[in-house]
Amino acid sequence: MSKGGQSRTRLLLVILIVTSLFLVTLDLRGVKLLDNLKQGMHNVVSPFQRTANSALSPVKGFFSDISLLGRSGSQIEKLEKENAALKLELLERQDADVQIDQLKSILDLAGTAGYKIVNAKVISQGSYQSFAQTVTIGSGSNSGIAQNMTVLSEYGIAGIVKEVYPNSALIQLASDPAFRIGVRIVNSQQIGFLTGRGERSAVLQLLDNSTDINVGDILMSRGSIANRPFVPGVPVGYVTTVDNSAGTIAQSATVRYYTDFSKLSVLAVVVGGPSTNPGDALVPQKPRPIPTPTVTVFVTPTPTPSN
Amino acid sequence: MSTRQIGISSLIFLAIYVVQESIISQFRLPGGGFSILIIFVLSWAIMSERDIAAVIGFSGGLLMDLSQNTSGPFGQWTLIMLLAGYGISYLGYGDDNFFGGALGVVFSIVLGNLLIELLFLISAPLLGVSIGSFGQIISTLFGTSVWTLFLTPIVLPIFARLYKTIFQAGSLA
Repeated sequence: MSKGGQSRTRLLLVILIVTSLFLVTLDLRGVKLLDNLKQGMHNVVSPFQRTANSALSPVKGFFSDISLLGRSGSQIEKLEKENAALKLELLERQDADVQIDQLKSILDLAGTAGYKIVNAKVISQGSYQSFAQTVTIGSGSNSGIAQNMTVLSEYGIAGIVKEVYPNSALIQLASDPAFRIGVRIVNSQQIGFLTGRGERSAVLQLLDNSTDINVGDILMSRGSIANRPFVPGVPVGYVTTVDNSAGTIAQSATVRYYTDFSKLSVLAVVVGGPSTNPGDALVPQKPRPIPTPTVTVFVTPTPTPSN
Repeated sequence: MSTRQIGISSLIFLAIYVVQESIISQFRLPGGGFSILIIFVLSWAIMSERDIAAVIGFSGGLLMDLSQNTSGPFGQWTLIMLLAGYGISYLGYGDDNFFGGALGVVFSIVLGNLLIELLFLISAPLLGVSIGSFGQIISTLFGTSVWTLFLTPIVLPIFARLYKTIFQAGSLA
């Protein structure tokens, strides 16, 4: 490369770096210069996401079912060809059944607490490249959804509405590292903050160090002013391990969310909070142990014949 | 670079972006999955001169910043991808480079992808972006590298053909 070419390349590189830093600075200073462009881009992509979601719905579980590949053989191949249409139909049916089950559980949850909800299908999963945990749902401001509303799954908290578009919304999942929620422990009523870690577990930090946390303690959401971003009384998760290291300012614990973030297909956005605090109405029931039948055998020794 | 080349390249960039956002994002792949846009940008950058590679990286990063799923301030991905595009071209361009063979190109893209993720992780705390637990980060870095290694040999011939069609045909005309 000639000397002139090198200086031109350096100049271009400097201009592009300065432009990037300029964009970062503008964003950090709160100047939403490119928000309209971002929204416009989303409006372009959103119809493609819906179409892809409908088209790929039966095969989305492929990677979780990959263990079945070992069964391949000539006979199975023949049967697969014969039953392809039926399988597709069955997959679609199974997918619909899962969604119906999730929807039913969400409605039960919301109905018990008196939340007014809007249901929506998950139309796109977030990207891992930014280490963020998000999904996109197929309902937006046209359905009454607004920013900072609580999002529920069939088991409890799923996240909050981060961005809203006319016909879709971006949900920040509770597993996102930037997610924070105020919680209370059901039995002791202690309050603390839960922070996402990028996975199904989260870190709980109590505000008061004088009480104990126990493994198995259930956490519920505390609720925010005007129910945004969090409505009160939503099941969040349960304590799995307690950090008892000496010298810590606040007691901490690891919590497992009730929601399985890898299996979200239907979500509900709470558009209207309850008139009264539901308290512990939504505390998940512990599974009842199935009684094991016991068999008592009475043995009467037979008298041995004496000679 | 002619207007025709810029126009066609922009359309291809948009198409790849739509594929990433609408199709690939449907699957929650184990280990974090992959970004077809990053693979595309790196493969084109490695075939280009440094100034073109910088523009390719800048454009790819801008699209990533426009994605609704991106966390962090607008411009962070633009800066990272710009540096990655320029860097990989700096190492890869020329007759005496060490990425001469297809295998070298594949490994350089995998390495480039890993470095992009590391750059994001380094810049994230400086810009106030939360990045999750150590275990999750390691799992994502490993997962995305494996996916990129698996996918790059499949898509690289397509991207290389597209590049040749646009840029070599353009330069002959």
